[in-house]
Amino acid sequence: MRDAFHKELEAIDQEIVRMGALIEKSTEETTTALVECNKALAQRVMDGDEAIDEMFLDIEKRSLTLMAQQAPVAGDLRLIVAILRVNNDLERAGDLAYNIAKLVHLEDFREPSPKAVKSLVSELGLAAGRLMSNAIDVWASKDEAYAAGLQQQDDAVDDLHARLINELLQLKDEAAIPSAIRLAMVGRYFERIADHAVNVGELVCYYVTGDEAHLG
Amino acid sequence: MNTVEARPAEVTPATEPPVFTVRDLSMRYGNSLALKDVNMDISPRRITAIIGPSGCGKSTLIRCFNRMNELIPGARVSGEILYHGQDIYGPGVDPVVVRRHIGMVFQRPNPFPKSIYDNVAFGAKINGYRGDMDELVERCLRRAALWDEVKSQLKKSALDLSGGQQQRLCIARAIAVEPDVILMDEPASALDPIATVRIEDLMQELKKDYSIIIVTHNMQQAARVSDETAFLYTEVDEATSHRWGILVEFGETSQIFTRPKDKRTEDYVSGRFG
Repeated sequence: MRDAFHKELEAIDQEIVRMGALIEKSTEETTTALVECNKALAQRVMDGDEAIDEMFLDIEKRSLTLMAQQAPVAGDLRLIVAILRVNNDLERAGDLAYNIAKLVHLEDFREPSPKAVKSLVSELGLAAGRLMSNAIDVWASKDEAYAAGLQQQDDAVDDLHARLINELLQLKDEAAIPSAIRLAMVGRYFERIADHAVNVGELVCYYVTGDEAHLG
Repeated sequence: MNTVEARPAEVTPATEPPVFTVRDLSMRYGNSLALKDVNMDISPRRITAIIGPSGCGKSTLIRCFNRMNELIPGARVSGEILYHGQDIYGPGVDPVVVRRHIGMVFQRPNPFPKSIYDNVAFGAKINGYRGDMDELVERCLRRAALWDEVKSQLKKSALDLSGGQQQRLCIARAIAVEPDVILMDEPASALDPIATVRIEDLMQELKKDYSIIIVTHNMQQAARVSDETAFLYTEVDEATSHRWGILVEFGETSQIFTRPKDKRTEDYVSGRFG
């Protein structure tokens, strides 16, 4: 019964995992580009965003086609709703990685300094990337028990973000202000990437339990 | 993502007492069990859909509500169906009176081979209706969303109407005796999609005044029209290969189609079997 429908639904579900892997990679690469001030790598992250956007559109189109033609219900309906929302979260996370790469790519962007700032930015980027990677694992396994762990990791990201802002506020050198503003933005972008990763986990909970509280 | 406070899982159903209370209802044809231990309450002025795979006892169940099964020799009912608190299978209860309160519309439109007018007036006449018959016929045809199409040809044979019109005429005929409940056994399965939509729209109008129970093969129809859904499924005795229907899950339609509690309901509504 409805084999073709369920196969297509599974295929779209797998596309989310593939898209998640791309977001994971661009988050990692944008972190490296940032810390090393590697403009070529930043360019690669920016170029990669096009493929992510295409995937986003493809997933959305295929999901809407299934909704229109197959009238999914029950677990299938919840899965498609979750896919459409996760798709948005991943696409937004991809845009945030792109935004960071774009800042790095600016001609006057320099390696983050002093050391304490550089180390916090690096830690924050790595933590956001790890969180995204774990969120994609939770999605692939559809195991809502692991989703709770994402929230704890997000708390650690928020903490790193707060520490970075605090560190930037300590800077006395007036010449450091433009760079500090950019790094504050970068910090905010990483923090948002982590939020989108937590959303992925919440949507797994929604899919598994049907509890709409997770759609907040 | 901000967490919102969880809403109550179920929409609270109407607080009015149920029209029907079904308790431990089993149904046998001869020695063969057809339906086993059904328990459910039917809410007033709501549409209750009965869904399930072929042979699960949907039609058997709906026919229990107005004692139609008794017309089949050897049919036996155990348990009880309380209609506003009174057991319709109780001693001294006249099935004809039961059927006047609980009307039925069948899968194939079955108008009498008489005029449109007479089809509607017939039941009322038999029941000794003393009011203005023309007014009753018009009112029922309007209620059944058929009046505008037939008002200039009331003397025409009902058999000249299209299938969809005939089915609406049968609904008009059913409501002419002022029932309380309308049972519909796959009322749209012989109709084209446009005629089906008209029947579905009509049901939404009718539920303002009547409680409706509908058996449907079409799950999307159940999802579209009903407030509550009952999922019946077939149980098999491996030793004897005997099969009978059981009520697996009964709840708000929105819950059945988004968060069914039972795996069998989930598999059936999402098309994994059946």
